[in-house]
Amino acid sequence: MAQIELEGKVFELDGDGFLTTPEVWNDQVAELFAKSDGIEELTEKHWAVVRVIRKNFEEKGNAPMIRTICQETGLRLKEIYELFPLGPARGACRVAGLPKPDGCV
Amino acid sequence: MKVLDKELKKKAINLLKNESDSKLITHLNACVRCGLCADSCMFYLAHKEPQYTPAAKVAMVSSLYRRYCTYAGKMAPALVNAKELDEEYAEKMVDMLFGGCTMCGRCVKHCSIGVDISYLVKKGREMLATMNMVPATLQSTVDAAVNTGNNMAIPVEEFTETIKWLESDLIDEMEDPEARIPLDETDKELFYTLNPREPKFFPLSISAMAKVFYAAKANWTLSSKYYDVTNYGYFNANNAEATIIAKNLYDEIHKLRGKKLILGECGHGSRANRWEGPNYLKKKYDFETLTAVELIGDYIRKGTITLDKSLNKQVCTIHDPCNLIRNGGMFKEIRFIVNSSVENLVEMDPYGNDNYCCGGGGGMLAMSEYNDRRLKIGKIKADQITATGAKIVITPCHNCVDQLLQINHTYKLGVRIMTISEIVADALVINNKTK
Repeated sequence: MAQIELEGKVFELDGDGFLTTPEVWNDQVAELFAKSDGIEELTEKHWAVVRVIRKNFEEKGNAPMIRTICQETGLRLKEIYELFPLGPARGACRVAGLPKPDGCV
Repeated sequence: MKVLDKELKKKAINLLKNESDSKLITHLNACVRCGLCADSCMFYLAHKEPQYTPAAKVAMVSSLYRRYCTYAGKMAPALVNAKELDEEYAEKMVDMLFGGCTMCGRCVKHCSIGVDISYLVKKGREMLATMNMVPATLQSTVDAAVNTGNNMAIPVEEFTETIKWLESDLIDEMEDPEARIPLDETDKELFYTLNPREPKFFPLSISAMAKVFYAAKANWTLSSKYYDVTNYGYFNANNAEATIIAKNLYDEIHKLRGKKLILGECGHGSRANRWEGPNYLKKKYDFETLTAVELIGDYIRKGTITLDKSLNKQVCTIHDPCNLIRNGGMFKEIRFIVNSSVENLVEMDPYGNDNYCCGGGGGMLAMSEYNDRRLKIGKIKADQITATGAKIVITPCHNCVDQLLQINHTYKLGVRIMTISEIVADALVINNKTK
């Protein structure tokens, strides 16, 4: 199993690079994941998406629908795909520290 | 390593003893180990290790057949390459039959005597499913479908809200308050289905198909409860679970009294519903089953929709999904649609029946365990795409779309991945104005 180390703390990853224990997530992990996806800096828009995903996960235990992300951030669908080049699942959900969603993603 | 349960092991071995399955017995005995299949397999080409050759995967299953089902194998196993099914062997089967094969079937076309290799791999998977050895990530996708009616566990109300949201966009775009994405309507001509990743994360393909339906003035509906075109029970090879999933869709189309089941753009889903579904349920379907590809092809041929291909000027190529081409017969239909929708199509080399899998088939995309392997074999597809010089890759399968998105990112291809309905929607001419 792959690992990353940040400021002396070790984080375990699944084969797809998602956190295996989403509870240990923090902003630094988000920044590191984003960087590995080619996002040099997380802008306010990125953080807005990440916060909505994180909140949904903490309240409901899963990733929000893309509709919820759009409506709560006020961003357009196409903007979200541009912000996270790997898409909402492999991109944004991973940065937000969620486990990999099931299905064809 | 877990210890094999004796009863489950016996059940698994019994799957090879079904003498009424003449195809199974014939193909288990047929491989002559000529090795011609090796270079047809993307796993072997990417790794160059003998364990990845299709013949080696066949041998994983046929060695057990010889050990437990033939006289020579029972008496002198070493002489006939018969193998014992123990924990270590079963773990190796998991690694090669789930993690080392997408069941794309390219090897079947290259086999000198036509052994149905993916059929035997699937039989091996069935044995593993019987022993509860399906990789956890793949099983969890099947569990979601069995427990909630769709493989991403989307609640009905969240799905409904998403469809209403897309409908209001359609109304704005068509400038027509009558534009609809119908839900749960009865007695419709077309009962349309989706891959759950569309409502969850990638809804532009739903909007695109809704636009095509709008232009065709189609009489259609979606169900809010059972709309999932996928059947991951086909991949985990647990036939009891595959049957539950197939039955959900079968019952729902009857409940809404739909006339035709339209399979959304999904390779394995088309195969699992159209060809395997009646076998799972052990009855002939009393409604017509068509893929979205055929439906759109029909619309173009009959003039139901009008396309202007000058609206798609960029160079395009097609990625052929294995289950729609090698195992689905859609080769010409896909070309007909794409050539009607774009100005410039460049084919990959090879393409059609000999095309390479994207690398995400067979449930690979769902299995995190094999991510590195999946991206490594995906390099073959990446190189194929680069060689075409295309800016857009069109494929009628959402699973392929996702693997292609990841390949696009990993190998920096700089292309756009689109479904058939998306490219068609971009070429649509509606009411003398283009959309």
